[in-house]
Amino acid sequence: MIMPEPIATPDSNTPAGMLEADLVRKARKGDLAAYDELVKRYQQRIYATIYHMTANHEDANDLAQDSFIKAYQALKSFKGGSSFYTWLYRIAVNKTINFLKQRKNRHHFSLNDLDFQTENNPDLVALISDKTPLREVGLTELQKKLNEALLKLSEPHRMVVVLHDVQGQSHEEIAEIMDCNIGTVRSRLFYARQQLQGYLTEYAKPA
Amino acid sequence: MNQNEQNFEDLKRLLKFKRHEAPPPGYFNNFSGQVISRIRAGEAGGSQTFIERLQRDAPWLANFLQVFETRPGLVGGLATSLCLLLVLAVVFADRPDTASKNLLSVSEPSAAAGSPVASMGEPALLPASDSSGIVASTNPVTSLQPTATLFGQAAASPLFQPAGFMPAGSR
Repeated sequence: MIMPEPIATPDSNTPAGMLEADLVRKARKGDLAAYDELVKRYQQRIYATIYHMTANHEDANDLAQDSFIKAYQALKSFKGGSSFYTWLYRIAVNKTINFLKQRKNRHHFSLNDLDFQTENNPDLVALISDKTPLREVGLTELQKKLNEALLKLSEPHRMVVVLHDVQGQSHEEIAEIMDCNIGTVRSRLFYARQQLQGYLTEYAKPA
Repeated sequence: MNQNEQNFEDLKRLLKFKRHEAPPPGYFNNFSGQVISRIRAGEAGGSQTFIERLQRDAPWLANFLQVFETRPGLVGGLATSLCLLLVLAVVFADRPDTASKNLLSVSEPSAAAGSPVASMGEPALLPASDSSGIVASTNPVTSLQPTATLFGQAAASPLFQPAGFMPAGSR
């Protein structure tokens, strides 16, 4: 007789099984294990956002770490008006935009490698057809051109495109993160896409 | 907006390509550990820099200073205007009593005597040899004393004036 394997459920007493609000409460009291769990939950998204903004792995690493450290130091001022996630994002976004303003016009690429699923992505497969010149362009070159085009946008426009089209965040979330209204988000997104389409005419033709 | 969304369909697909850019394998295994150890190091050493403390305690001031970081031209402009102010202050500090000397030299003794009101506002200068006045001196206390009475009469003593008062109609 085969006994069914017990299903592993997260223990609500361990940081991994805790709700975000409980983790934040504990972290505010100085519980670093709770904060470690919060970092683990959001590290990939925060890193990815910063990386797509800077197109530089080392800068993204430093800024992401600094954002988490700043958030920990400022936890006492977090009043819970928004979710911790949105608040953390706001810190990371401001830090990144400030950094980019200081680094103005000094772009140094340090691009991450493409993962092994890239060539199986249905969207990319659809894009790489006989009618487009993408077939002749290596994926690495496409990656470079895409990053170059993004870096030509202003920081707020780039941020909106990254958060919406790359990260998949909603207009409302972006408005909250960037502390502006939804209309501004929409208009920035429209303008940024128009600009990008101009820079990438050979790859992204209007319908 | 739907039309716009359709116009950007290719671009949106292209942008999703960026999701495949991944950091080196195992990068996130150690990420939170690094963050926590940096927090611990900061707490143990209390080694916050001045800028970090400023950003925490007075973010408005830190933001103000960041404006200068991003626009070095502003720093130059501010420094130049401060230097100009300093130079102007030094130049004018070298001749502090120019204005008062001019005031004193304009008034004429005869005119001052004729008009009591004028003599109140602009005390007449008497020659240094005149025993009824005060000899021009660098002594700040005595030099500020009036050299004549209100109605142009010489005072008996340079430092004291008679307290008597005579109505204008009784002369």
